Amino acid sequence: MTRYAMVIDLNTCVGCNACMAACAMENQTPVWKNKWRTYVHDKEIGVTDQVRRRFFPRLCNHCSNPPCLTVCPTGATSQRADGIVLVDPNLCMGCRACAMACPYDARYEVTYADIDAGREFYGEEELQRQSPSMDKCSFCAHRLDKGMKPACVETCVGSARMFGDLDEPNDPVTQLVASGIAQPLMPYLGTRPNVYYIDDTKRKG
Amino acid sequence: MDTMSYTTQDLWTWWIALYLFFGGLGAATLSISFLSDMYCRPHRNLVLWGALSGVVMLGISSAVLFGHLLHHVAVINVLNPLVLFRQPHAWIAWGTQFILWMMVWGIVYALPYMRETPSCVKLPVVGRLLEGPFVSWIVRCCQKRRRAIGWLATINGIGTAVYTGLLIQSFPAVALWHNPGVPLLFTVSAFSTAFAYLVVLMNVFIPDPNDTDIRHRFERFGLILIATELVILFSFFNYTLSGSESGYRSAQLLWHDKGWLFGFIGLGLVVPFFIDLKSVIRGWGTRLPTVSAAVLVLMGGYLLRHYFMYSGVYARPW
Repeated sequence: MTRYAMVIDLNTCVGCNACMAACAMENQTPVWKNKWRTYVHDKEIGVTDQVRRRFFPRLCNHCSNPPCLTVCPTGATSQRADGIVLVDPNLCMGCRACAMACPYDARYEVTYADIDAGREFYGEEELQRQSPSMDKCSFCAHRLDKGMKPACVETCVGSARMFGDLDEPNDPVTQLVASGIAQPLMPYLGTRPNVYYIDDTKRKG
Repeated sequence: MDTMSYTTQDLWTWWIALYLFFGGLGAATLSISFLSDMYCRPHRNLVLWGALSGVVMLGISSAVLFGHLLHHVAVINVLNPLVLFRQPHAWIAWGTQFILWMMVWGIVYALPYMRETPSCVKLPVVGRLLEGPFVSWIVRCCQKRRRAIGWLATINGIGTAVYTGLLIQSFPAVALWHNPGVPLLFTVSAFSTAFAYLVVLMNVFIPDPNDTDIRHRFERFGLILIATELVILFSFFNYTLSGSESGYRSAQLLWHDKGWLFGFIGLGLVVPFFIDLKSVIRGWGTRLPTVSAAVLVLMGGYLLRHYFMYSGVYARPW
């Protein structure tokens, strides 16, 4: 079995936003209204001379117990055997319950107006989306099926994003997760996320 | 400086509060009208007014939700009853079916009374439908199985009222919503507002001196439910004060908001409680205080859902 997971190292993310751009082009997200499948938060943390910038990439956590799936009334949200949580835009009626249920703010609206804007932005011929829905990251499932990595991982200049299979013991991602260095976000919510973070806030030296 | 961020949401706002308010109110109104008709005494006017206004409220509730969907055609996927086998864990799927079948059984239960009401029979299209062979057959079936249909409607009504709370409870990131008190609070509020609505109905629109016993019973039930709601709200206050940052921030928003404190708790619950208490213990010389209290309870019912939706806080580590 395969169980996909991502590890993001906050120590090496430089905040170049190349992942956002690569994802937007790959998945045709409505960037004109600042909505992305992955987003890098830029925040100042610390006080006095210890203030520093922290770049925090965020995306769908492809939870093993996804609350967005359990609240979806039409079955538009589904989970593959490899753990990837997908949205079928044809089934989605856009009630937004998934966005309310997601603790990771991974969902955003794609409206009829966005599809019209998308035709202009991405091109009439190239636009893949036909109907509105609540969209989110798919771990680039279409690329994985062709043996490629997700677009954000492929393009990451700081190698902050690592992608792997948790059922493969020799995979570096598995080892980082198993060692406890990489931790999930808000594990107490019981969502069992499959995106892990290597913290940058530990005191150094 | 803080590594966490705390935000409310702007996706489910006043319109979902309306959906929850009219859904709960309409369903509870139908259930109470039918239970009263089945077990107190047969009451044509109460059933007709209760059923028709209940169905209109459920219609408004559904229309508000439908109007805000992103992809209207895809709603067909949730109207099919088989959705309950495909998505048994999704409360919107259950709620849609409860509301749909509540409306169906509500109209079927009211049909025999509609046929014997001259003002209904005289209506242009409705009159012809009521005299038609199909409706006549339904009326005969309904007369034979009156209680069964009444209970089908009631079960769907209670299901709808409970659903409005379960829906909000299913969002795990927000402490104010994701706790066992929410379905209880919303169910009690749905029935409390429905009793208030029926008190207005029986005092203003269908006043009958012979209905004094039913009116008093509704006032008593309303009073008990307002008291229960106050107890549940106090436990919410206690719960949100500590335990999670999300809950604490929701408490800060709610308990510092004048609309919540004076509008909902003061005017929507405490004032009607004392007016109804006097009504039950000593009575009033006129109907005005009781009707005013009921109107305040109805206003409070909406405010509860409005502030609840706007005060859910997501705590995020970025």
